[in-house]
Amino acid sequence: MAPLGRAALALTLGLAAYALVAGAYAAWRGRRRLALSARNALVAAFGTTLLASLILLGALLRHDFSFVYVAEHTSRQLGTAYRFSAFWGGQEGSLLLWLLVLTGYAAAAVLLNRRSAPDLVAWVVPVLGGLAAFFAFVLVFVATPFATQQAPPDGAGLNPSLQNPYMLAHPPLLYLGYVGLAVPWAFGMGALLARRADERWIVATRRWTLLAWTALGVGQLLGSHWAYVEVGWGGFFAWDPVENAALMPWLAATAFLHSVMVQEKRGMLKVWNVILVSLAFWLSLFGTFLTRSGVVNSIHSFAQSSIGGWFLGAIAVTAAFSLLLILTRLELLRTETKLESLVSREVTFLYNNLLLVALALTILWGVTSPIVTELLNGVPTNKHQGYYDFFLRIFGLPLLFLMGVAPLLAWRRASWRSVRASFAIPAAVAVAVGLVLVALGEGGSLLGLLAYTLSAFVLASIGYEFVRGTAARRALGEPSWLRAFGSLVARNRRRYGGYVVHAAIVLLALGIAGSGVSGTERGRLLQPGESMRVAGYTLTYLDQTVSQRPNVTELRVNVAVSRGGHRIGTLHPGKNAYLAEQQTSNEMAIRHDVASLGDLAVIADQINQTGSRAVYLKALAKPLINLIWIAGFVFVLGSAITLWPDAREQRRLADRYDEALAPVAS
Amino acid sequence: MARKQSPARLVVALSVAAVLVIFLVYTSLASGTPLVQPSQLPKQHGSVSLAGVVLRPHGNARSTQGLRFGLRDFAGKTTVNVVYHGSVPDLFKAGRRVVVDGTLKNGVFVARPDTLVTKCPSKYQPKKG
Amino acid sequence: MTAAVVIAAVLAVALVLAVALPFLREPEPADDRLVALDARAQRRLALAEERDRALAALKELELDHRTGKVSDADYRAEVGELRRQAATSLRALGERAEAARDRNGDVPQLRQRDP
Repeated sequence: MAPLGRAALALTLGLAAYALVAGAYAAWRGRRRLALSARNALVAAFGTTLLASLILLGALLRHDFSFVYVAEHTSRQLGTAYRFSAFWGGQEGSLLLWLLVLTGYAAAAVLLNRRSAPDLVAWVVPVLGGLAAFFAFVLVFVATPFATQQAPPDGAGLNPSLQNPYMLAHPPLLYLGYVGLAVPWAFGMGALLARRADERWIVATRRWTLLAWTALGVGQLLGSHWAYVEVGWGGFFAWDPVENAALMPWLAATAFLHSVMVQEKRGMLKVWNVILVSLAFWLSLFGTFLTRSGVVNSIHSFAQSSIGGWFLGAIAVTAAFSLLLILTRLELLRTETKLESLVSREVTFLYNNLLLVALALTILWGVTSPIVTELLNGVPTNKHQGYYDFFLRIFGLPLLFLMGVAPLLAWRRASWRSVRASFAIPAAVAVAVGLVLVALGEGGSLLGLLAYTLSAFVLASIGYEFVRGTAARRALGEPSWLRAFGSLVARNRRRYGGYVVHAAIVLLALGIAGSGVSGTERGRLLQPGESMRVAGYTLTYLDQTVSQRPNVTELRVNVAVSRGGHRIGTLHPGKNAYLAEQQTSNEMAIRHDVASLGDLAVIADQINQTGSRAVYLKALAKPLINLIWIAGFVFVLGSAITLWPDAREQRRLADRYDEALAPVAS
Repeated sequence: MARKQSPARLVVALSVAAVLVIFLVYTSLASGTPLVQPSQLPKQHGSVSLAGVVLRPHGNARSTQGLRFGLRDFAGKTTVNVVYHGSVPDLFKAGRRVVVDGTLKNGVFVARPDTLVTKCPSKYQPKKG
Repeated sequence: MTAAVVIAAVLAVALVLAVALPFLREPEPADDRLVALDARAQRRLALAEERDRALAALKELELDHRTGKVSDADYRAEVGELRRQAATSLRALGERAEAARDRNGDVPQLRQRDP
């Protein structure tokens, strides 16, 4: 079966290359049948990639160790779910997943738009074809999943730290996000190639961008939760290059999502939009490159491989292609509309763009500066946490402010009168919250206080929007508040869905601020029976227990948790020792506290099993941290509301483009 | 109809410049930590991140003596002795590649507490021993 | 391995067919030109977008006014200009466009629209 897999990938390469060459020629010369033929080839490329994927999947599920890939990433005792996830567990498989998602998206995008935007699609086909051809090339000639060998009796197995449900969800979601950004980019480039200055490409890809952006966001949150719960150092994000690789495109995509609204409403920022979509996709490609080459020192530290060079080439070509295309079509994108007033929603969106891009670029510099300094000084210099924290605050806090301000301002120009009136209540709430916090003793950290008051401001302004809107619908005659609320959201999905997403971001900010700024950490060496205190909790070391499982020795420290004199529970932090893999993992124990929405996390840093049986415990109190995970759900809800199709809107847009394509009646 | 040119663009352009200035000032003041291997240590001054292969670990990172181990170049012979206090990652053992921050003092690398980090086994390559 | 060879052969034939299909279906087409937007169509599209923007702005102004974000005074100041812009766009597109929108029941300035 492996040769068939190889053949399938080779066919994919051929089809994608044909889609690129024939498609480009057909679009350039305006040849309908050839364009159609190229489109068919691109769609067929999905079929052949799917076949190759099924072959690999079959081999994984069947324990076919004659496949080198299967032997390297699975073993006989590995459960079915993890044999499935081993598909993306290694270099070659994950590249195949990339290609599968890419060709799948490409096929869907060109088929869905074939009647409504044929001239655009004619150019999208070669762009996506070229991208697919690159990945297929790498899979055929550089890193094939179908290498074979004399089948060994058993495989190498999967690292135990990867054997958890997160491994099933986190990578695929990220890929759906990364690859999803290729579609709006291809349409943007297609529009420029077709010399179209209108927003057809944005309308066609609005949902794609939203879906990809949501997937990327949720994927990152899952990764953070994984780090928090499983890796067990009490944190959830370390500005690791691999983590940054997902954050950067997400930030650029956020800017893009907002910026296109300005083009939609005012016809402005066209150049910004093609730059932003190209930046988002380019960062996504760069991120894929980062996680696969040993170019940057990272705690995930993937090994050096020949893939790096090829990816670097693809990144350079993509950047050059996008830049050149934008530069040569600059005249096309010029608009007459100018900014009318500093106090307008357009300006807040412009600042939004600037801040998000600035943040993304500072992270990019943080990630690449070791490479640059190594080239210049011979020694790589890493940026520490402080660098990232500084810029997150200096760009993040104004962004938080903008989230609260923008909905209150009108397009074009907002009069000070209406601005003052709209600001009054949210600002008052924010000040009140700030005062309460200072009174409660939380005024210690100025930054924390600022974050909390700004969050209160944004939440208040969002709440105010919902209340005012519902009241207006009630005034129109809706029978109940509930119905009014429902019809308000249903009729203005993008606006109110967007507000819900903003609320999610605020919750995220609160969770990050609370657990960071208001968190406490204590460490102590304890003899059996001794206690330690942290943030109002008293932890008493009881005893140790050892349990033996087939491949794992679980060593646990039993810790009694009390608060205010009452015993409220027991935690069991410890370590797992894996026999076959010769590794230990840290098992952090977490207790959720509903009142503070926070966690008490206890790590058994050092366990003496003999002699004094003393134990070094690290206890961390993290208030509000669960807001981060709650924010994830709110985020998905908001996104779903925004994505929900609006039939009237669809028809309106369809009419617009049909009219343009139809000949004028005499 | 002629519209009064709004100062908006000027303000925005100034903001961009301000952002750039903040960035440049910050990076020039607080430039990162060099990442070196033991053979490159003599040329460095001040705090560095030292990467290498762990040799002969002994002692307790939570005791006053601390955890002591040798750190050798990835592909070389130069070794330096390290004294470390703080948390030790579970993957730490002889033969592992680690990174730790600190300064060279009197021929011994004194590590900053809680900065010891191991590199996870590579996801994208067959596991080597 | 013969199963693999057979699958590969069938696949190859299917792919060639898929790629050649457009040419096989229409060996002598009346018109092989790819639909593209000429300058006039682009202008019409730009006008249509302008029209939609003006109408959407009107709708949004109504919504903002109803929810209290825009005061009565500001509403009165803005609505006239927006209506004028909308009317200009509609006129530029011609009666045909207006008739089409009437059919869909989507003319804000003639009927009160709910927010």
